[in-house]
Order: sequence, then structure tokens, then C-alpha cells
Amino acid sequence: MYATTTKLLIKNVIKPKLLVQRFSSAPVLLSDKLQKFRTSESNCANHTVDHLGLFYKVPVEDRKHIFTLGGLPKSFDVQTKTFNETCLMIRQPSLDIINCMKNLDFSKPVVRFVLYGEMGSGKSLALAHVLHYAYQNGFLMVHVPWVGLWMRRCKEYSNSETKEGYVDLNLDAAAWLLNFKTQNSHLLTQPDIKTDVEYVWSKREVTPAGSDLLSLVEHGINRVKYASEVIIALAEEIKKLSNKGVVRTLVAVDGYNAFFYPNTRVYTEKKEVVHPQKVTLTEAFMKLTDFDWKNGVAVLTVDEIAIAEEDQTCHLPRYLLRKEGFEHIDPFVPVPVLNYTHKELTSCMDYYRERKWVKDYPGLDEEVEFISNSNPYKLMKVCAPL
Amino acid sequence: MFGVVNTLKNQFFNSNLKIISNVIQHNGMSQYPTYFIQPVYKKESQEELIKSGELQKLTHLPTRAALVDQTCSASHDPLVSLFINYCMRKGDKILARELVETCFENIKRMQIEKYHKTTGEENKAKIDLDPKSIFHKAIENCKPVLMLTPIKRGGVRYQVPVPIKDKKAQFLSMNWLIDAGMDKDKKVRFHLQLARELIDASNNTGRVVKKKHDLHRQCEANRAYAHYRWS
Repeated sequence: MYATTTKLLIKNVIKPKLLVQRFSSAPVLLSDKLQKFRTSESNCANHTVDHLGLFYKVPVEDRKHIFTLGGLPKSFDVQTKTFNETCLMIRQPSLDIINCMKNLDFSKPVVRFVLYGEMGSGKSLALAHVLHYAYQNGFLMVHVPWVGLWMRRCKEYSNSETKEGYVDLNLDAAAWLLNFKTQNSHLLTQPDIKTDVEYVWSKREVTPAGSDLLSLVEHGINRVKYASEVIIALAEEIKKLSNKGVVRTLVAVDGYNAFFYPNTRVYTEKKEVVHPQKVTLTEAFMKLTDFDWKNGVAVLTVDEIAIAEEDQTCHLPRYLLRKEGFEHIDPFVPVPVLNYTHKELTSCMDYYRERKWVKDYPGLDEEVEFISNSNPYKLMKVCAPL
Repeated sequence: MFGVVNTLKNQFFNSNLKIISNVIQHNGMSQYPTYFIQPVYKKESQEELIKSGELQKLTHLPTRAALVDQTCSASHDPLVSLFINYCMRKGDKILARELVETCFENIKRMQIEKYHKTTGEENKAKIDLDPKSIFHKAIENCKPVLMLTPIKRGGVRYQVPVPIKDKKAQFLSMNWLIDAGMDKDKKVRFHLQLARELIDASNNTGRVVKKKHDLHRQCEANRAYAHYRWS
């Protein structure tokens, strides 16, 4: 018996790990062994370089908690519905950021990561992976699903009452507060998360110092008029709480460059175009991406799609962030998101085949790789009618 | 027989091409004269030609260039590209192709949803997940055998049932499917409606199959006029 197993080991027929599974009493599903594109490891902290290119399943509760009010791109959302599960691919950029987050010295000022890459290369999904890690490790998530939604297609705009020359996006701000509340519902109920300063909204409405952060958020949701102000107050409070070490914060902003692109679709009451720096919401996220606080980390993406179509000429951060944006977050860590490697593409196609999404025929992988140029979004589009 | 004559003609024209090209009548709108042969663009059929030695005969014949939608891709289907051309309006082929491809995507989504809902391996195996096979089945199921043509006898137009060829039946079946896809609420997209119709037709149900049956019934009712075809 022993001799045969060692022989097998030498021949490298069975990997030692599998051998343990084979002789242990725990039942191992046959499908698990055969599926080389999947890993059963759904704890993001345990993802290593060995898992590169593999799919892991996001549990339904986690998905409900993090992504109900945005966060996953719409086309991917439709896919998950069809596939009956939410699977993310473990890729280099998100893995790098997670590794850094594990080893960061949180007593130093916040580190800003900037994800950049061509259209459809998977920036938003890399951010989703990082968010999942943050959720599993008890970070306070300050997550903006898509800044373009505010600057390019906002629901409503009105002149700010408290600040001269500024514009409020009330409904969008309230929607974001709701998102913040659902994402952090497990943390906001903790007893030591309190406000530091008294906020006076009007004669009758006051949020006293030492009240719950949750009550501040709920005030913003109930009184939509003050939602933008509440977000600015919230940003200040989060920074203070992080500085004290009560919480550890992840600031995740998708389409961050929209904060610096002057050609918005937000207008004043005189129908003049508003610069994003004149939108009250922007101020809060400028504060959160500044380096004057600690015990936090910021992961931002810059994306061509967040700006107007006529200016989508380059995907590099210096162009997209413009001078102001680049200087604002200046010492930052750029993380490129590239197209699929050959291994990732094969794994993705195997996943599609397993989910019955494409019908297999010889030479499919090469053909699809060539047509889509290994771009993840294009690959999805190319495989759709097959 | 016909093939032999054609190749002979081709060889004749080929050798005297320069002299006769001024005299030759061109083929309607086509930029190719009639003696140009159709290209062989599929890899498999090319290999077959090489194996059987047929290729030698075709080597020096004037050949048309392949059309834009004739690719050697394994996913290429001539019937689908014909269907795309039938869907096309005002020459907007990009739109037509996009619509048909989105329709296939919709079919897949609907079928996979069904697949996940059903329980039991046997029932799951019954569900067809390949949009192209659904498309082929649908077209096969909608093909009529007979149709009515008006024929004037004694000053009266009679609707006379006549048998039709496969090509015509295929055309009718595709056109009916497209019409059914267009006949919808304003808010529903064409590709979604077309997907529903194709799935229905592949199961031998739905509006288009009913239309076919109605036509057959009418032909059956008018069987008394059938002899007007020849008398």
C-alpha cells in the first residue's frame, strides 16, 4: 500500500493534497476535483497566487449585504442572474491590493490605490473583490458604486441653501446614504461609534454630540433636503473615528475621475453647467481621499466611461484625473488592470461551458481569444450569441 | 450534366476572356459575369475538395470574392446569415446582426433559467440550450407545404392551393417569424419578442405555427379549385 502511494507521488499522478483528501473521511465532491477553474475558498483573505485565474463564489448573504444597491456592473449583474450564482475571478490587481491591505501599517496616513485600465478590463469587478475582502474583515465600507451616476445622469439638482454657488444632488445623496447604511448595518449598531460634534440643521432639528452614527445617516435619508450636508458631516466623523482607531475604513470609489471632469450634466437653476468641485457631494469624497487621516485605505478606479464620450481618448490616470485630481491624490499606488492572460481566458471559457453558456466546438477558445482580444467585456459579448 | 456544361462554358470563357468581355451581358446589378463560380469558404468543404481531387478542376476558374458574412469560423451558419439578411431593413446590416445576436442571447437566458428551475436530471436533459438548434427547429416547424395563389378563370379569381418548393417554404417561414417578432407592444424590444416566438415555434406551438396550420386549413377548404392549376 505504502509503496504504491509513494510511486504514485513520484510519478506526480496524485498531488499530496489530493491524497489527503482521498484517505480522509471527509467526503470530497467529484465535481470539485474535476473543475480546475473553480476554487471553493470563499474567504478572500486566503486567496493567494495559486488561486490566480480561478473563480470563487460570493455567498448569497454577502452579495445581498454589499451589492444590493449597486457595485456590480449591470451587464455582470444580468450574467449572475442567468448563471444562478455570483462568481468572481481572482485576478492579479485585486489580489495585489488585498495583499497590501493585509500588510499595511495603519498608523501611517492612508494609502491610495488607483485602478486603471482599458474599457471592459474588469476594474469594477476588481473593486468588488476588494470590497468583499473588506466586508469579511470588518472594514467600514465607504463605497460609491459609480460617480458617473451623479455627474452624468443625476436624478435631481437644486441650488444649495447653506453654501453660496454650490449645487446639491438630494435624491442621489439620499440613495447613497441608504447604500452606506445597508453595507455597514453590522458595524453601525456598535456602541462606540458615536458622533463627535453637534450638528444643527435647522431651528428644530439638531443632532447632538455623542449620538449614534446611524441616527445621523437616518436623518439624511428621512430629510432628503439635508442629505448632502449629512454626507459631509459623515465624512468628517468617519475620519475622526478612524483616527481614534474605533473602526478601520475602506474608501472605494468607482469612476473617481468624474469628480474632476468639468463637462458635467449638472446644472444650476440658470441652466449653467456646474463644475464637479461645485457639487456639495464632491467635498465629502475629497476629504475622504485626502492623506490627513490614518487607519484607512482608499481604492479608487479611474474610468473612461465616467466622462463624456468625445473625451474618451486615453485610459491613463494622468489624463483622466487631470492636473487637479492627480495633484489631489498625488502619492498614490497605480494598479493596472490588464486584459485576460491565456490562463484566465481558458478558465473563463471553462466556466462558461460549465454554466452551459456556450456550446463547445473545437477551436472555440482560440477563435474567441482572437476576436475579443482577450478583453473580458468583449469576450462576454462575443460569447453571448454562441 | 448541368455541372459539366457549366465547367465547359467556364473554360471556354476563361480562355477568350479578353475578347468576349466587351460583348458579354453583365448579370444585373452584380459586378460579376454569370460564369464566375461561387467561392468555397468553409475549411471542411475545402479539405473535402482537396481529398476528392475536385480542387484541380476549380483551380483556374474565375471565382467570386467571398461575401462579408462568409467566414470560415466554426460558429458560422449560412441559414443564420440568411435570416440576418431577411431581418435587415434599409440596408442596416449592423443593426440586423445585432438584433439577431441579442435574440440568441435572450433565447439562451430564457432556456438556462428554465434549466435551473426544473428538477431532475432527465427533465434537465430535455431542455435545449443551444440557440442555433432552436432556431433551426423553429424554421423547420414553420415551413408550410402548400400555399394559395390567385388564378383567374372565367373572370373570377380563385384562391388555388399549390405545392411549394423548399426554398419558398423556408422564405415564408422566416418571414412569418420576423413578422411575428415585429407584431408586439411598443415597449417590448424586437429581439425579445423574436426570441419568444422562436422558442414557441421550436416547441411546435405559438402564433407562427398556428398561422401555418391556418394556411393548410384554407388550402384544404379550397381543394375543389386545385384543378385550376393546370386547366
